[in-house]
Amino acid sequence: MGALTFIFLPYLCTAVFLLGIGMKVFTWIRTPVPLRIVTTPAPKTRLGVLWRLIGDLFWFPNLFKADKLLWASGVLFHICLWIVFLRQLRYFLYPVPTWMEGMQTLGLYAGYIIPLPVAFLLARRLLLDRVLYISILGDYFALLLLLTITVSGVLLQLFFRTYVIDVKDMVLGLIHFQPRIPSAHWLFVLHLLSALALLAYFPFSKLLHAGGLLLSPTRYQRANFEKRSVNPWDFPVVYNPENLSTPEKYAQALKGTGEGGEE
Amino acid sequence: MRGTLPVPAIKIRASEHLRCYPAKAKDMVKINLPTERAENWKEVMLKKMAEVLNKYRSVRLFMDICVKCGACADKCQFFLGTGDPKNMPVARADLFRKVYRRYFTLGGKAFGFITEAEELDERMLQDWFTYFYQCSECRRCSIFCPYGIDTAEITMAAREIMAAAGIATKYVTEVVAKVYDTGNNLGIWPKAWKHTCSFLEEDLKEIEGVDIKFPVDEVGAEVLLVPPSADNFVNTDTMIGYAKMFHAAGISWTTSTYCNEAGNFGLFLNYANLKQTNNRILEAARQLKVKKIYWGE
Repeated sequence: MGALTFIFLPYLCTAVFLLGIGMKVFTWIRTPVPLRIVTTPAPKTRLGVLWRLIGDLFWFPNLFKADKLLWASGVLFHICLWIVFLRQLRYFLYPVPTWMEGMQTLGLYAGYIIPLPVAFLLARRLLLDRVLYISILGDYFALLLLLTITVSGVLLQLFFRTYVIDVKDMVLGLIHFQPRIPSAHWLFVLHLLSALALLAYFPFSKLLHAGGLLLSPTRYQRANFEKRSVNPWDFPVVYNPENLSTPEKYAQALKGTGEGGEE
Repeated sequence: MRGTLPVPAIKIRASEHLRCYPAKAKDMVKINLPTERAENWKEVMLKKMAEVLNKYRSVRLFMDICVKCGACADKCQFFLGTGDPKNMPVARADLFRKVYRRYFTLGGKAFGFITEAEELDERMLQDWFTYFYQCSECRRCSIFCPYGIDTAEITMAAREIMAAAGIATKYVTEVVAKVYDTGNNLGIWPKAWKHTCSFLEEDLKEIEGVDIKFPVDEVGAEVLLVPPSADNFVNTDTMIGYAKMFHAAGISWTTSTYCNEAGNFGLFLNYANLKQTNNRILEAARQLKVKKIYWGE
């Protein structure tokens, strides 16, 4: 049981995550972009595109235009997620960089806050008729996993403290392919397993929005229409000439000798 | 107009009965599409769908990354007007997404119940025809989507796929066929166009007291003007405005009887007809040996 939880599943889920994401990104990049139809107002320069994508990654200007409450909870959730990720990197690195030690307190508070926006997003899904209508089982699954991970994380920090030296020892063991089985509270096992489930679910679900955003043709293209954009798979259109009126037919019609001269 | 439009409560299938007339065989022949729904329409559509997914990164990516946040839900005028939830951009795209999941993703094939993957059956096809033709491809929803998901591109893809199996609407196909016949969306024949232009010359003479020409098919003019049908038929004042502007600027110009239409209904049908309709502008320009094309709309 210990070997399954602490050795087999972490390797399996990480492999599924990396392979799954790799294959998806490969498919996206391989697929051509025939149309240059960016969403307006669109930047004309590469620098402008970079700025637009940074905005899309961190403060979601489109969502701000669309729905203020959704924007606030979305930004709060994602910012907290970034901070928590950075803080938890300390369990993966030895020695821990100084800047990471410096953000310990900030990281902890971000961790305490993070269940709130997740719970709000879940409630919104259930209470707003439009969003309830479009929600599928996969949407609830992702939110419930996130809720489990974050709430168990907070409980582990505040009430059921796990011996973090053991946890870090386990993680470093996995990284260096010398896996060790720690003794841990069941709540930590839940925290770990749900995080692994999220990792494995990632490439098959809407969670792909994280990387897909950067490849979205309406966002990363420039609006430099001065330069001709050529469709990579363009083909000559072939029509039955009997069904087309050629310029000659028109000239005849104007002279009154051909068909189509009606008024 | 002032104030805000209240967001309606959802009314299931409220606009299902508002459907376009199916295309007529006489038009479909002219625009190179099957004259009636193919016997094996499902196979044809799925084959075309695979092709579209491999040709448009936008479509494939938009299928994968939507998080169903609902930011677009209350932004579509078709939803605001009807309250039909399938007119929410995300739900419209979901009609495509469900079929995509079922036939083109591992998750949908293996765990269809989690991802709500669905078969492409008669019911689904009816929904496609109804709701992908209740989208005007205005792209308003894409302005609000945090990932720039553009429902217009998904609608275009769905119509392309349906057209391949001989499924389209009378309005769109008739207009495209008319362009191939008469050179414009409205069915103005060449002689009628010449007469319209001479009427406008008389009007202009009355208004300004100056002789200003409305040249038609003049080989060697500098500019080919391709007016939208709103200008050459409905708001002829705009057409008169063009003539005044060219006169004042001293630019020689002409219109073409072969192509006097800037609107392109191929956009609402499929890629081949979109391209063919645009090709006509280039053909007209080469035939009249102009140096520039001024293209309204």
